[in-house]
Amino acid sequence: MGALQPRDRKEKKLRRLIDNDLLTMISRLVVGIVFIYASFYKVIDPGSFARSIWFYHLVPGNLINLIALILPWLELLCGLALVFGIHYRGAVIWANVLTIVFIIALYTTIYRGLSVDCGCFKASGAASYKAWRSIIFDLFLLVFTLHLYFSRSQRWRLAR
Amino acid sequence: MAIKQAIILLVIAAILGLGANLFSPNKIEYIGAYRNLSGSDGPIIPPDADENDPPFIDINTAHFEHSTKRTIFIDAREREEFECGTIPGSINIPFDYLPDGDLKLYFDSSLGHVAFDQPIVVFCSGEECDQSLHLARNLAEYGYSDVTIFFGGSREWERFSLEIERRKNCGG
Repeated sequence: MGALQPRDRKEKKLRRLIDNDLLTMISRLVVGIVFIYASFYKVIDPGSFARSIWFYHLVPGNLINLIALILPWLELLCGLALVFGIHYRGAVIWANVLTIVFIIALYTTIYRGLSVDCGCFKASGAASYKAWRSIIFDLFLLVFTLHLYFSRSQRWRLAR
Repeated sequence: MAIKQAIILLVIAAILGLGANLFSPNKIEYIGAYRNLSGSDGPIIPPDADENDPPFIDINTAHFEHSTKRTIFIDAREREEFECGTIPGSINIPFDYLPDGDLKLYFDSSLGHVAFDQPIVVFCSGEECDQSLHLARNLAEYGYSDVTIFFGGSREWERFSLEIERRKNCGG
């Protein structure tokens, strides 16, 4: 075997960085806490969250309430699962899927010229949260969720 | 493995979400009766509205708010007009009879059960009347934080063939 090429060394360095236990834990805490916090108002007041979903005009009317009832709990469970490391890989998948879905939904509102509240943190009908700001926030969040997806760190988990 | 865990999380979320709704004080119906009304081009806004006014909503939003059953609808027209036909479940607070002085007694008697953060939609007949605008301004000033104005009013509601509650037969 010859010496490692510079490119291989770079890749190894990146791989080590991604797999770093501490960095992975930080990403888990960031994504987990954001998800738990985001779910809070929606779990308490699903009616207002239903109104936020409706403002997007993306979901068939008879599914709106079901989504408003289930999605906040899914966010809460994913947040807890990431922080404590239980059903971890499943939670990582949901964190990525949900973040991507939120970004697409927000982008479509800008594309269609709708003025909506994102309903991200506080379920509300008023157009108070600018969609672009929410998209930028979600893109930042996506960096962390993707890190969790690619990280192979197994430390500090209560279960697999 | 990961997919199996994701499905388990979804199932638990569904059980908790649908189950918690049974006991929640903010309970909602499992299947919402929302629909899109065609032909709505955004809210009708009167020319004398100013930027500090409560937001104006269109027929789609008004219908949605109505279907949530949480939002209080207030008809700002006179009693007679209110009784001839209004949006179902509305409360009548005729703006023209609002006292000049202290509004506390007046609002407390008609809206005593309504929390200050509860969503309220105010309307009157339609574009030609401005009682809804003025009543909404008063309500917002008085402390109601989630007041909106459906300026299309009862006429637009009727134009979209939505249900009208009639307390007496006024002909026509």
